Amino acid sequence: MSDQSEALASAKAAADRLVKAKRLNACLTPVRELRKALVTQAQAAHPSGVLYGMPVAVKDNICTLEFTTTCGSKILEAYRSPYEATAVAKLKAAGALIAGKTNCDEFAMGSSTEHSAYGRTLHPFDKTRVPGGSSGGSAALVAAGAVPAALGSETGGSVRQPASLCGVVGIKPTYGRVSRWGLVAFGSSLDQIGVLGRSVHDAARVLAVISGRDPKDSTCEDRDPLRLPNVPESLQGFVIGIPKEYFPADLDPAVRRGCDRAVRLFKELGAAVREVALPHTAYAVPTYYILAPAEASSNLARYDGARYGPRFDGTADVRALYRTTRGEGFGAEVRRRILLGTYVLSSGYYDAYYRKAQQMRALIAQDFRNAFDRGVDLLFTPTTPSPAFKAGEKLNDPVAMYLSDIFTVTANLAGLPAISIPIGRIKGLPIGGQFIGQAFLEDEMLEAAYALERVVPATEEA
Amino acid sequence: MSVTHDEVLKIARLAELEVSEEALPLLAEQMSRILEYVAQINAVPASEGVKPFVPGPDALRFRADEVKPIPLAFGPETLAPAFKDGFFLVPKLGAFEGADL
Repeated sequence: MSDQSEALASAKAAADRLVKAKRLNACLTPVRELRKALVTQAQAAHPSGVLYGMPVAVKDNICTLEFTTTCGSKILEAYRSPYEATAVAKLKAAGALIAGKTNCDEFAMGSSTEHSAYGRTLHPFDKTRVPGGSSGGSAALVAAGAVPAALGSETGGSVRQPASLCGVVGIKPTYGRVSRWGLVAFGSSLDQIGVLGRSVHDAARVLAVISGRDPKDSTCEDRDPLRLPNVPESLQGFVIGIPKEYFPADLDPAVRRGCDRAVRLFKELGAAVREVALPHTAYAVPTYYILAPAEASSNLARYDGARYGPRFDGTADVRALYRTTRGEGFGAEVRRRILLGTYVLSSGYYDAYYRKAQQMRALIAQDFRNAFDRGVDLLFTPTTPSPAFKAGEKLNDPVAMYLSDIFTVTANLAGLPAISIPIGRIKGLPIGGQFIGQAFLEDEMLEAAYALERVVPATEEA
Repeated sequence: MSVTHDEVLKIARLAELEVSEEALPLLAEQMSRILEYVAQINAVPASEGVKPFVPGPDALRFRADEVKPIPLAFGPETLAPAFKDGFFLVPKLGAFEGADL
């Protein structure tokens, strides 16, 4: 793009596409407000920016000045942040247009985008199914072609899992690669902003822009922004590890076929493929569902009706105000996780749950270090155990819902980068394959993803 | 691991979260199942002595997790006419109307 009229045309076209995608309930921003904001941003966008005129939707738990930030929760209904996330500021400085806020599970707690106070998001290929979550709105908008890329957030797979279910690319960077300033906190030691894109290149371009140091976030590493690698001709010299724990006997046979096909393609591209062991994998989901709720119960203590959002009146005293506001403002899943988190941190249970889970996290991270120390560059796994499931199927069974993150939570626990790319279809529904890379070696991971993307028949049955 | 209704109510009080009587049975049942599921990590032996893993810059580390006394010569309850459950009790705003402040 070369002048502002093209950015304006891009803004108007994006608004039209977002209106068409309205039936998905993926975008929470009202159409009129969205059009106006897109045009205003296009007029202000700098033509020299590397993302000039590119519409990027933003998950509703990332603070923006243009739009409300509700985190999909009634407790933050109509809330406008007085500041914007560093990632959003960097996008705007690069000339991107913030194309509204996307629906998500409340406070990013969920794997289906059914736990939003603003209604569930529909899967773009089959409205009876879920798009995954918690960044389901971002994934659905990219899959529907409404935007080329969107920001999501990850605590346990909330970018990669919906990306896999919707047939788009999802990147979770290394913990500390992207600033968390302005990302509403859920599990602070796990949270990272990630990117969903229609291709590896679209997602990687956005990631490169939002990455890099930020003095406002002490957990953000003091590093230069990510440099994008070239698209490789082959994978000669790469050693790709296949962790056997990610291919259990009860894995969906079609998911297994899709991964087997990808492995054959790696070999044809010149990579060496080696089986590896990550022995503590089975304990990753239990570990995650102790640590993440524990951190959430602390982070969400700030929502009390006094400082943010609507106040649900408690008549007796200030305590009643807190309890009524939190009881009525939070949805069922968030309430459940706050209670779980409070429980595992409480006196008498702390050692059995929280301390033990911290130790398990260290063992899981050590598993990855051991694999990489033995000469493996990257790991390849399925992203999810199955394609998109039916809406309502897992709503009343929290453990079943949590298990849909079984292949993604490990990278969050170990703070490693990972990417999901489409590798095939099962009865028309997309499935994804995942690369897990070494800390801060996103460039290697992207090279492998570029190479696989070029050859894998992503829209064919596995 | 079975969580009783009373335990849910106790935890809810700690979390400043209102839980209705009707919601209690399902919540207790779901919490019990989740806690039973996550307790499987205790089957892994010999993880004592493993240092906690903290991602992010090396400079970022946990403080020691220990309870220390609040460094006040007198408790906050001695500084106000009324104090309850960690809060200073003050008149409702309406009580100030017409007062000579």
